[in-house]
Amino acid sequence: MITEIESQIYSAEAEYLSSQDLGVLKTQILYLEERLKIYEQLRTQEAEIFQYAANQISKNFADESELKVKQALKHWLLILRYCGMAMLFNDSLYLQQQILSWLSAQIEARQTQDLEKHLYSYLHKRLKKVLGNEQFSILQPYLEQSKNALLK
Amino acid sequence: MIDVTELIAESKLTGNYFAPQTYVRGDFESGLIENRQGSRLLAVPDTLLRGLYLGLNSELGSASGAVLYNCGCKWGKNFFRRFSEEVRSYYEKPLVELETIELIECLKQCWQAHGWGLLEANFDDYQQGFLTIRVTHSAFAGEIVDPQQPSCFLEAGLLSAFFSELSAVNLHCVQTECESLGASSNLFILGLAQRLKAAESMVAKGQTHTAIMQTLTANK
Repeated sequence: MITEIESQIYSAEAEYLSSQDLGVLKTQILYLEERLKIYEQLRTQEAEIFQYAANQISKNFADESELKVKQALKHWLLILRYCGMAMLFNDSLYLQQQILSWLSAQIEARQTQDLEKHLYSYLHKRLKKVLGNEQFSILQPYLEQSKNALLK
Repeated sequence: MIDVTELIAESKLTGNYFAPQTYVRGDFESGLIENRQGSRLLAVPDTLLRGLYLGLNSELGSASGAVLYNCGCKWGKNFFRRFSEEVRSYYEKPLVELETIELIECLKQCWQAHGWGLLEANFDDYQQGFLTIRVTHSAFAGEIVDPQQPSCFLEAGLLSAFFSELSAVNLHCVQTECESLGASSNLFILGLAQRLKAAESMVAKGQTHTAIMQTLTANK
């Protein structure tokens, strides 16, 4: 977890960190502070972000069964929670092992991929607006990782 | 219109209970490993497993397969009980209420978390009464006891008991391909013992999995 900080701790061993390494550590701590803000924002605005996506789906896919839409929403509520944690600790392997490898076959079997592609695009749009470009760019790699793993 | 706040409140959003990072916990000081519910896990070294296969074969000869299969069955019954209890407690619903895909994913992840290999279930012949299980990188594919015969009797027994308990029907399991014989993965066919008799003799004659499945499904 927080791989860069961890590697700094172990590489230092019995020595003080060099100025250059200390600089890297300071940057990572600043990044962590930034990521915590994004994480808190995701947590407090979860319902609002997803309500936007749910409304768009209901408007544009009126014939889609509510059960299927709810299932797709639950998938992405879960994915975004794990994306938030993976972003916080800068750990894409965590995201893969904890949720992506688990949901991949389920999404395929439930045949919700097309619906979820649209849901993803609405979420993408909303998150960009809620977080702003700079903060969104920190979360984006984890969203992309999820999209690439689940919505082929 | 779906109310997301309501959806979040009424749903228990659960992830992968068997994710290896969270499922297996160890304590270096005490040398113990346990699962996330605190049940002790036993690490079996490859050497012990190989020794077990060779020792049993030396003592019992061709009967060692039957002994291992029965041990697997006994283990499988207990494994099923623990698996269903853990899944029910985490997902807050009994195994029978899980969707098939959820159940199979749980089993896959559980198999992987225990280091038993990568399991895949194939339901193509389900209507004909057969289920095929493929396990890649199996922990049970050990020493070659008989160069003509698959050797994962323990795994076959484990699968037989698991799916028998799950379906409440006595299912037999026959291994048709084995990593210890150079195959890319282990293949097992599950079905009623009577209908798998032909498969057992075909395995003994060295027939391929595809040929065995064709015969079984054509004999319906």
